[in-house]
Amino acid sequence: MKYCYLSVLLVAFEVTQLQAQQNAPPPAFPVQPNASAKPSAAAPAIVTVPVPPPRPNGPIQKSLVRITSTEVEPDYRAPWNAGGLQRGIGAGFVIDGNRIMTNAHVVSNSRYLTVERDGDPNKYPAKVQFVANDCDLALITVDAPNFYKNMVPLKLGGIPELESTVSAYGYPIGGERMSVTTGIVSRIDFQLYTHSSIDSHLAIQISAQINPGNSGGPVMQNAKVVGVAFQGYSGDVAQGVAYMVPTPVIRRFLKDIDDDGHYDKYVDLGITYSKLQNPAQRKFLGLKEDGRGVLVTTVVAAGPCAKVLREGDVLLAIDDHPIASDASVELEGEHVEMPEVVERKFKGDTVKFDIWRDKQPTSVKVVLSTVWPYFVQGHSYDVRPRFVVYGGLLFQPMSLDLIEAYQPTDLRIRHYFDYFVLEQIYLEHPDVIVLTNILPDPINTFLAPYRGGIVDEINGKKIRTLDELAKMFSEPAERFVVKMIGDGPPLVLDPKQAEAARERIKTRYNVVREQNLQEQAVAKAAEDQKKM
Amino acid sequence: MRRNSFTTFAIILLTSTVAIAKKEPALPTATEGKQKTLSLVRVNVTGQPYDYFRPWQKKAPQSKRALGAVLSKGRVLVTADLVANQNYVELERAESGEKSAANVQVIDYEANLALLEPAEKNFLDGITPLDIATDTVVGDRLAAWQLEPTGALVATEGLVTTIQMTHYPVDVGQFLTYRVSISMQYRENSYTIPLVKNNKLAGLLLRYDSRAQLVDAIPAPIITHFLKDAETEKYGGFPSSGFSFFPTRDPQLRTFAGQTGKPGGVYVTSVEPNMPAVKAGLQVGDIVTEIGHNVIDQNGNYIDPLYGKIELTNLLTAHAFAGDNVPFQVQRDGKPLQFNVTLEHRAVKNYVVAPYNLDQPPLYYVLGGVIFQELSRQYLKEWGATWQKEAPQRFVYLDRFQSELFPEGHRKIVVLSQVLPANATIGYDDLAYLVVKKVNGAEVKSLADLAEAVKHPIDGFIKIETEEDPKQIELEAAQVATEAPALQDNYGIPSLERLE
Repeated sequence: MKYCYLSVLLVAFEVTQLQAQQNAPPPAFPVQPNASAKPSAAAPAIVTVPVPPPRPNGPIQKSLVRITSTEVEPDYRAPWNAGGLQRGIGAGFVIDGNRIMTNAHVVSNSRYLTVERDGDPNKYPAKVQFVANDCDLALITVDAPNFYKNMVPLKLGGIPELESTVSAYGYPIGGERMSVTTGIVSRIDFQLYTHSSIDSHLAIQISAQINPGNSGGPVMQNAKVVGVAFQGYSGDVAQGVAYMVPTPVIRRFLKDIDDDGHYDKYVDLGITYSKLQNPAQRKFLGLKEDGRGVLVTTVVAAGPCAKVLREGDVLLAIDDHPIASDASVELEGEHVEMPEVVERKFKGDTVKFDIWRDKQPTSVKVVLSTVWPYFVQGHSYDVRPRFVVYGGLLFQPMSLDLIEAYQPTDLRIRHYFDYFVLEQIYLEHPDVIVLTNILPDPINTFLAPYRGGIVDEINGKKIRTLDELAKMFSEPAERFVVKMIGDGPPLVLDPKQAEAARERIKTRYNVVREQNLQEQAVAKAAEDQKKM
Repeated sequence: MRRNSFTTFAIILLTSTVAIAKKEPALPTATEGKQKTLSLVRVNVTGQPYDYFRPWQKKAPQSKRALGAVLSKGRVLVTADLVANQNYVELERAESGEKSAANVQVIDYEANLALLEPAEKNFLDGITPLDIATDTVVGDRLAAWQLEPTGALVATEGLVTTIQMTHYPVDVGQFLTYRVSISMQYRENSYTIPLVKNNKLAGLLLRYDSRAQLVDAIPAPIITHFLKDAETEKYGGFPSSGFSFFPTRDPQLRTFAGQTGKPGGVYVTSVEPNMPAVKAGLQVGDIVTEIGHNVIDQNGNYIDPLYGKIELTNLLTAHAFAGDNVPFQVQRDGKPLQFNVTLEHRAVKNYVVAPYNLDQPPLYYVLGGVIFQELSRQYLKEWGATWQKEAPQRFVYLDRFQSELFPEGHRKIVVLSQVLPANATIGYDDLAYLVVKKVNGAEVKSLADLAEAVKHPIDGFIKIETEEDPKQIELEAAQVATEAPALQDNYGIPSLERLE
């Protein structure tokens, strides 16, 4: 299941603006000069031979790497520009097959990656092999032949016990060299993964300190990786709440790419359901008083359950695991949320539902796939923003990144964003095209009130995608009459004037590109949708 | 005349201080005894707003203290804000402290004005009523009148900086407003403050921004409109025409709309269903060039003899009454047309989402613990001054775009506002803020529809369908009926429904 809410979680990735790179960040605590760091107590009478501290996880330095990523962050407010440069520091660790595992957010949007290891003065250029933005994991690799020599690949463990001790390794702020923190396993639960901000998967909360720079580092127990440190709360929200990606999620990622050398993403049912705990409702639906079943409330038309499940169906079992009326299922002796069954599957896998429809039992099969409209409500990475500039008017498709860049207060935009999936707005408007900005010019000087409008039609033709909008503006017409959604005046543009103003606007505002229609997941899937 | 009393007051204050110092009180002189009393009375109001989260009860009583302007025929003018949801209104003479109960004679929440009359007929005797000055223009100086605890006048002068159309608190259309730059001090009775020009009433305080030291005032033209209407047998209310417009400054829009001749007029963007403009024949896309023989410019302004350029809505509020026939000159596809628009007051009941509900108990229906209400702005305002941000955003959206989303009008939006945990509502406790679509298969367009539909259960069950998840919930009719007394008792609900 995907949820969409705002979160105070921060990803634990140290990012600095490149301009500020010269100035070292001030230490979080006043640093004592080494001389005064001696213990203040009197020297002990008996001199003991110092015992090296126990290293239950072995020599982690031989597996850990420090990753420096130079990123280009797309600028949604000036989408023709390349974007701002940022540099970030994260951690990673070597696993079998000469691969380095880290977080997706350490390497997403990166243009140049280098990797360093303990005791080696070299910086090795690295490249990204696979990125899974939905579970915040990535694999990178180094081509230098000798790099993996003397490196020890780490093995994956299982889910650590609650209250058991774990150690987190990485390169957090506070110094240059490797840092270790320890803590215990505090909670094992589904959590929102803030990197995409729409995905919820299993995550393990640990009390070990996780700070910017810890991202992508291994969390170890008994010399095995039990998680990848990835996000936590900033200190002013909650203290000592950090999360790691647990091994079931890591293994799923590795299996997904090992199957066909391509990451297919998490699959989703594309439904919402509600609990069936009310006795009257159960009786009405003709259900037994056995505490089983959840009610299907929305079936997303772009999802795999469309035409298979209907609103009002009761889901009784998933792959023969009975579904309790609170939506939990028993899986390997644990009570987990029903979607956990789907979490473990891959694109093209099937799931069987025993359902109760019109007071009759039946069963259906669903071939799992991704549900593209959800992606609009999540962050995108490694893609250039799509846009069209025409007559100084900037048109952009709505997405979470766009919303975050402009922070619109307009009720209609917010409504179209929030209900994009639930009210199936994408069926009519696969791209919700917003007139986000106006580059002032004599031809558009009176058009400011139209800013924030959502394009509905141009010259009487429904505009569903940005491509359609670009095509419309490229065709000859006496004038373009752009109807926005809602009661408002049409926006009227004279193509002759727009053409005459074109170079002027391009030069004045340094618009190096007038459009980017580069197909992203959204537009492509929208095309598929149309063919259906 | 009034000048004189000002000076006398100042003297009284001075002499009394001196008197204390001398320990030899100077007795009031004959002139002071004859001194004209101020045309102000204190107004003390105890009000109890309804609690929309617990619609069967009222909130704790609140008291407000204000000043009322004494008008002719023994009437006192205050803002509607002051006396909305009042339980008890009392007038108090400033100089003597005598009190009388008072009744609200006429109230207009939209123009934010109310007329009070004392229960004791002769209570206002001896007070010179205030005349009204309707000729205030930008650049005039107005005095805000307040009272000291002693009953002495505090007058603060300010400059009228702009006269324009603004939204009043109830936010139904726009009305003429004076903006006055003034640095007022806090006094106890500062809810309604009269603004005076040459001893005539020029306006009543609408809102005060203490940081910017700006007062918005309900201007005399709106007050006289209200008073004139109040003289009629049945108060009609300010008229409206029911169309929205957009400037035609953009030549590209003008060409598209077929506007010919000199630039001017406004583009009609929408017409409200069942309202005067649409009844008269006005259409979306028309260009309105003249209203009541006043030429409308491309920004939507006409030239007022007093104020100069001001928005056309002033012609349809301050200058017109419900029932008036106003000629509209329109261009459609370049051809001139004329329509006679018969203005009407739009009653609250004719909105899908009522803009206000004051002095009226909220409607509700409690079914087994599930509380249903009709969506209203009064309900949304329970989320406080920032309700537009705080209230459920879906509801705010429905309110804002009501005429667009429900172009047919003639309906309400029934919402499931919350659920009181009870045996019948187990598993439903977390539900709140849902829009009700159907009950027992019947469409619900008002709370009355819902109450009627509930009477026809499906095989003993009441099925409620909502727009949002969970889309449907069911209750057992028999269980709901049996447990009703316990529910009422448990949550202290005197009655499970109020349908009118």
